[in-house]
Amino acid sequence: MYNFDFVKPSSIADAVAALAGEDAQPLSGGQTLIPSMKARLNAPGTLVSLTGIPELVGVCREGDMLVIGAATTHAQVARDAAADFPGLAALAGQIGDPAVRNRGTIGGSLANNDPSACYPAAALGTGATIVTDRREIGADDYFQGMFTTALEEGEIITAVRFPIPQASAYAKFVQPASRFALTAAFVARFESGVRVAITGASENGVFRWAEAEAALSSDFSADAIAGLACSPDEMIADLHGTAAYRAHLVGVMTRRAVAAAG
Amino acid sequence: MQAFGKSQGGTRREDIRFLTGQGRYLADIAPANALHAVFLRAPVAHARITTLDVDDARALPGIRAIITGADLIAMGITASVYAITLPDTRGGKGAAPHRPILAHDTLRHVGEPVALVVADTREAAMDALDAITLDYDDLPVSLSLTPGGPEIHPEAPGNLALDWRLGAADAVDAAFAKAAHITKLDVRQNRVTAAPIEPRAAMAEWDGTRLHMAFNGQGVWRLKSELAAALALDPENVHVTTPDVGGGFGMKVMVYPEHYALAAAARQIGQPILWVAERGESIASDNGARDLSSTAELAFDADHKIIGYRVRSRVNLGAYNSQFGQNIQTVLFSKVLTGVYDIPAAEMHVQAVYTNTTPVDAYRGAGRPEAVTLLERTLDMAARELGVSPFELRARNVIAPDKLPYKTPMGETIDVGEFARLLHRARDLGDAAGFPARRAASAEKGLLRGMGLAYYVEAILGDTSENAALEFTEDGRVRLFVGTQSNGQGHETVFARYLADLTGIEEELIEIVQGDSDLIARGGGTGGSRSVTVQSTATFQMTKTMVAAFADFLARHTGAGPFEFESGIFAAPGTNQRFTLLEAAEIARREGSPDLLRHDARITLDDRCYPNGAHLCEVEIDPETGALRLDRYLAVDDFGNLMHPMLAEGQVHGGIAQGFGQAVLEDLALDEDGQILSGSFMDYAMPRASDLPMIGFESVPVPSKNNPLGMKGCGEAGTVGALAALSNAALDALWDQGVRHVDMPLTPQRIWGWLQQAKAQA
Repeated sequence: MYNFDFVKPSSIADAVAALAGEDAQPLSGGQTLIPSMKARLNAPGTLVSLTGIPELVGVCREGDMLVIGAATTHAQVARDAAADFPGLAALAGQIGDPAVRNRGTIGGSLANNDPSACYPAAALGTGATIVTDRREIGADDYFQGMFTTALEEGEIITAVRFPIPQASAYAKFVQPASRFALTAAFVARFESGVRVAITGASENGVFRWAEAEAALSSDFSADAIAGLACSPDEMIADLHGTAAYRAHLVGVMTRRAVAAAG
Repeated sequence: MQAFGKSQGGTRREDIRFLTGQGRYLADIAPANALHAVFLRAPVAHARITTLDVDDARALPGIRAIITGADLIAMGITASVYAITLPDTRGGKGAAPHRPILAHDTLRHVGEPVALVVADTREAAMDALDAITLDYDDLPVSLSLTPGGPEIHPEAPGNLALDWRLGAADAVDAAFAKAAHITKLDVRQNRVTAAPIEPRAAMAEWDGTRLHMAFNGQGVWRLKSELAAALALDPENVHVTTPDVGGGFGMKVMVYPEHYALAAAARQIGQPILWVAERGESIASDNGARDLSSTAELAFDADHKIIGYRVRSRVNLGAYNSQFGQNIQTVLFSKVLTGVYDIPAAEMHVQAVYTNTTPVDAYRGAGRPEAVTLLERTLDMAARELGVSPFELRARNVIAPDKLPYKTPMGETIDVGEFARLLHRARDLGDAAGFPARRAASAEKGLLRGMGLAYYVEAILGDTSENAALEFTEDGRVRLFVGTQSNGQGHETVFARYLADLTGIEEELIEIVQGDSDLIARGGGTGGSRSVTVQSTATFQMTKTMVAAFADFLARHTGAGPFEFESGIFAAPGTNQRFTLLEAAEIARREGSPDLLRHDARITLDDRCYPNGAHLCEVEIDPETGALRLDRYLAVDDFGNLMHPMLAEGQVHGGIAQGFGQAVLEDLALDEDGQILSGSFMDYAMPRASDLPMIGFESVPVPSKNNPLGMKGCGEAGTVGALAALSNAALDALWDQGVRHVDMPLTPQRIWGWLQQAKAQA
């Protein structure tokens, strides 16, 4: 790890101001950033901690939305979202291990947009709204490819607003070593239709599987998509799975998510 | 005095230390003024160095030394890293190319050490790494186990380091010529890394005369002699110690390049130097494991009796000979080549090949899991081809009790064993009869269930000699000096309890001393499942001579006698003269008999012993994803007499978990340039507790005749049996889907791929 300065502001305004400094990077739970710094792959001049800002933490029901502060840990989401949005709580409870879940945050995960992370599937799969210090971004506009988002330089996520679906589930096939998603599907049924988001599979990061959404919107059952196949084009191919394997898993995991959502 | 005491169960006394953070591992023992060492390592698998410029790095703040291969040569340190060679069937010995301590003209594998940086802090040392200029011209990379790739050493044309044969090829050919059935199978052993929880580490210090090196190894003596030779020091002036060790698994047996370089640097700088590998550094630079491809052929007569066995292997040695590299898949493999079966003719031919990869050496089982996996998988295939049950085919071929002791075609003499009994015990205890019902229940859930059987035999290896010394201290305690080396297995518990059983000295008063070349002149260390068997035999012998000496002394002292020793008490029948050992020692001390305050013994076992047993497991495979789940596992083991049943069972659990790791999860994968694809735990999948079911274990002891305690050793057995049992179970699960071959690792994508292939061919 290289040397860096560390600040821990207590307000969003102070955090945004600190991030305007040269080589400043936001630090939330640090579950990706700290290991990459230890490996000397990342060398921020200043780390601006976002975990000392009270308004960034918490899970709150607002009508038919569940609003989660960006610095809320996975463990807290798993606990506090369980009653209102069990599909999301279950997803949060499967991220990493207990140590990761007690440090890692939803905002950190969405800002990083790892192509194998879990939360992007829930955000895109529900059409959540990403709230930042300066605007609101719909999930369909927010995710722009592997490790790429609509966030501007110095912009920080403050909250995520999830529309609560009538039914939802996350089916995750784990990469055996990291236990990130090798391929995972988040399925959410709303009155207006069904959304299906796939993580872990694509070189373009999380994506919506339109054909499955259409089929499921008219018949929300695993059988409705039994014959659907996802193209292996632009799927990730690595040690743990070929593109064809991942494309196959997209179908399997989506069907399982539908079955689990009931 | 009974050779075998009342040892039973109980918790491990070192666990309080380990589990409360009081363990003293290598990084814990470095003095406060220790400098920090890091190594510059080869970033590519094969290249000619054109520039190695450390001048800028040397000028950075906090840098105390940067040592390159050229610097070592200038210091007069030109040693090749220690390695043995075997006789080569082509004549002479296997290749022995120079393995430099620090690469100075050619890089031959990713992770090879190139320069040592010593600094006040680790951060400063890391900064210096960034400032070193290493330029090179790439050379063609050879990764193939087929001889003939781009040359790595001129000493080994075609990269063929060793051509090795054992057994009577003529007799085998004759058997195959008259065979009623021949089964042939190719088996690949995936490359894995040991990945102990504590990475390799060492600390070197120089006091002006003596070198002290602490390292987390498996025995201190080889490193002592190597450092003395390489640095031209009197062996008396080399002190090697080992503190608590967080796992070795054979990988930490060896002398590594880093040891020599750290010793040289400590002598130059005169201040202690600490090196602790990072995980990625360990994966890249620790000796690799397994990594061979074999073909087995079994010849059967019309009664399904095996009449001949032929094995061909191509073995990866890595870029250089490691310490025992040439020995593992040759000599050690041969020890159990024919398993527990009565096979009249067998032969093996091994080609050991250099590649541009990290050297490959011993890993839990070291040659024996590889041999047993090959044989047991081939037998399973034969059972399918012959249409008999895997139990029946094995039962028909195991060595019958009346043929023991049995000399195998490889020259091993198996002393005792009741192989059919254990086989059938596993069948019954594991409820093989209930398998069809369980398979049907799995099928109801859409899952494919398979059952896998393996009968393994081990050959206990390592030094068959060992010593024990006991010293009575002035504070009324004793110290037992052992030549073995715990890597976390619980030696302190078992050695102290055994001595307490033998002598009546309370366990709390017994200190176990290990891993110090000044205090213990020689020893065999830990490896080959030897420790408890050889050390306890030495302790037993030492105690016998000690008791005899004290009986004589007490007779002289009291005028009574003769004294007998029982249950920890010396007593002279017909008198009221009774003494404990500690009381007797105290009298000896008072009376000025210092010779009685220290006792030594050195023993050599008559021969090897052969732990064996049956592993029976069941897996469930999800055909949609290829995911394999281990549902049931049973080991029925003949370890001879058990010194400490709980520790033995723990070794079985750990061994099976490690076997499961290799069989299902672990894969040290390289790309075509020799770069490591699974260089961290993000990609290198280790077994987790949740991957394993509760493991059934039953001990069926048939005491060995080759040591007075009737023990057999248990450290590697779990791994030796697990690879074949799991592979056989996976194939059994997939067979009805048309899959005809599987290889480790049995990862989801590979299993799914085999299923797809079978579907396409159907």
